[in-house]
Amino acid sequence: MNEFSFLLLAFITYLLAMLAGFISLFRPKIHWRRVSYYLGLGGLILHTISLITRTVHSGQAPFTTMYESVSFLAWSCVLAVIIFERKFRLEKTGPYLWLVVVALMALASSPALPKAVNPLVPALQSYWLWLHVSVTLLGEAFLAVAFVASLLYLLTPEKKLSQPGQEARREKLDQLAYRAVAVGFPLFTLGALVFGMIWASKAWGRYWGWDPKEVWSLITWLFYALYLHTRLVHGWKGKRSALIAVLGFLAALFTFFGVNYFLSGLHSYA
Amino acid sequence: MSSGAWKFLASLRLAIALLILIIILAVIGTLIPQEQEADFYRQHLPGLSGLILFLNLDHLYRSPLFLSLVFLFLLNLLFCALQQLPARFRRLRIQGEPGAGTVSEGPEPRDRSRLERWLGDELARLQDIFRKRRYRVRLVSTEQEKIFLARKGLPGLFGPELVHLGLIVIIAGGLISAIFSQRISLALVEGQTEKIPGQNFSLRLDRFTTEYYPDGSVRDWKSLVSVLENGQVRLQKTIEVNHPLKYGRLSFFQMSYGRDWDRTSLELEIGWPEGGIQTIRIRTGESINLENGARLKALSFIPDFQVDSSGQAYSRSPEAVNPAALVEMVEGDRQLFLGWVFFGHPDLNRYQRQTRPGLKINLKSFSAPTFSVLEASSDPGANLVWVGSGLLILGLLASFYLPYREVRLKQRAGAHPVLSTYARKNREAFRQEVSHLLGLAGKKELKDKTDE
Repeated sequence: MNEFSFLLLAFITYLLAMLAGFISLFRPKIHWRRVSYYLGLGGLILHTISLITRTVHSGQAPFTTMYESVSFLAWSCVLAVIIFERKFRLEKTGPYLWLVVVALMALASSPALPKAVNPLVPALQSYWLWLHVSVTLLGEAFLAVAFVASLLYLLTPEKKLSQPGQEARREKLDQLAYRAVAVGFPLFTLGALVFGMIWASKAWGRYWGWDPKEVWSLITWLFYALYLHTRLVHGWKGKRSALIAVLGFLAALFTFFGVNYFLSGLHSYA
Repeated sequence: MSSGAWKFLASLRLAIALLILIIILAVIGTLIPQEQEADFYRQHLPGLSGLILFLNLDHLYRSPLFLSLVFLFLLNLLFCALQQLPARFRRLRIQGEPGAGTVSEGPEPRDRSRLERWLGDELARLQDIFRKRRYRVRLVSTEQEKIFLARKGLPGLFGPELVHLGLIVIIAGGLISAIFSQRISLALVEGQTEKIPGQNFSLRLDRFTTEYYPDGSVRDWKSLVSVLENGQVRLQKTIEVNHPLKYGRLSFFQMSYGRDWDRTSLELEIGWPEGGIQTIRIRTGESINLENGARLKALSFIPDFQVDSSGQAYSRSPEAVNPAALVEMVEGDRQLFLGWVFFGHPDLNRYQRQTRPGLKINLKSFSAPTFSVLEASSDPGANLVWVGSGLLILGLLASFYLPYREVRLKQRAGAHPVLSTYARKNREAFRQEVSHLLGLAGKKELKDKTDE
């Protein structure tokens, strides 16, 4: 069994977890949510085995190629979902988060992302690779949770709000998004910006060069800084801050994928 | 400074406006290629080039507009911190008014006696309850008042200020870097020594090696260099990517390598029409006398031969993709051969002219000395950026993971006891939690002013 087989098994397990999650929305019996949770946990274990196997086989960190990074991001999202499910009940957000995970896994498994192990170019031969990429992707996983919660917040139809309990439900989505950003933002700051700057100064002699990847990670950071501050201004909390959380995650996605494919610079290998 | 200006510079709305503006400009800067020649924009973005150059969008991140926004942001951070810090320090005091944001109430009549008992006989138990929850407890008991104060997460109180201070330091460091940082590029062949401009030492490349992976891609470049001061070797070290050399105030980085094609050694094979094959080794720019009286000259070498629209030969890339040498053979004042010989195409004679039919010249092999490309940089702003980053991260951790909480039970002589609670986030939830903890039944009354 190679790492790709384990990845596919994890993919299928996550798919089942998602289905169980969606079923639990329509049949709110407790055990469907539990099924979803345990399937998710099982998938995470399989996925972890896949990552470890890949690391041993390639002799490198399992997030240097696009395929590896997407797989690791999916893994981090599952970790975030499991942690949040344990600490706060996810209810509606859970199945949609699984949808994000499934989409990432589908992308990782697809032929669009070559599975070959690429030997590391000299610039990537540093232990900062481990710290910079992993902490950034972990942070982004939690920002993904905020993304889904905020999207659900924005998509709550107005007329539904008059129903009993719906206003409180929507408030919970807002709270969930905030809590997720509270975890994701510091991790993203540390991984993407601070570790990124340290590594850049070691490899290229300058900690910041305004190259597109660096600028877009800064843009992502600014969006979440904006998010945190708009929550303090009456009238901006609620819909506007949810919108900013959504835009911020889209900026994070662009930093991850878009820059490599549409813009160019020193960063264009991953 | 007028209080209006102060309020403006310290305001949250300014911060929000600046964040939005900086985001928009930053995005634009990634969509328009930066730091190119004016002609580049005229060629590739014909309609917009005028606007781009006028608004400095070609070097947006060091344009006056962008820098002013960053500077304004710096002021905003500074003024906000100056405005908030007094309130924060006030909150540290045990006595005195708790300050904005605290939820206080004179309790419902039915809770009064309960609170009095807490401050009286059950004080020890009260301390215990909060100590168990890892609160720090302080007591003040004078004739005028009795105060019980339980606090948790004190660093978290200053979290946002620490974040802002970190950002201020980072931006300051960035400005210093922008003005004072230096970069020097060096290309050294093995054995070459270069004096470093502005410094009192030289760098000598002792050995340069390129390591390859089995599939042929580059694995590593290693430059073994010696630092020389007054002719003495002070230090010898290998520079690799991610492993720079620090000396004096400079750091030397392995950026890449190149080949000195102007000093390529050629191995030419000459096939004489009367028979016989001769192998000659010659360097570009040199000439050699052959035994039969002819003279061979290696005029130039192009690693990636291409001919442009005007018939001029040039190199498409610095890689040896289509190596070609320009060779001339003369006998007295008669030219026997002049033309390009190709490493990959021995029979290609389109770019040759010869008066001795049957004469054939082939390029059998070639090698060019490698030079190592090092870059030296000095950046006095960098250390500030590291300090600022540390403060930023500590501030974020403190703000989010050490939330400040405060429970204060205070009774002035002759008055009813007052319960105040303060929490940055989830004030209501915290208040209810504390009321429940103390066994209070009363309905809460909100005196909640948002102060931050």
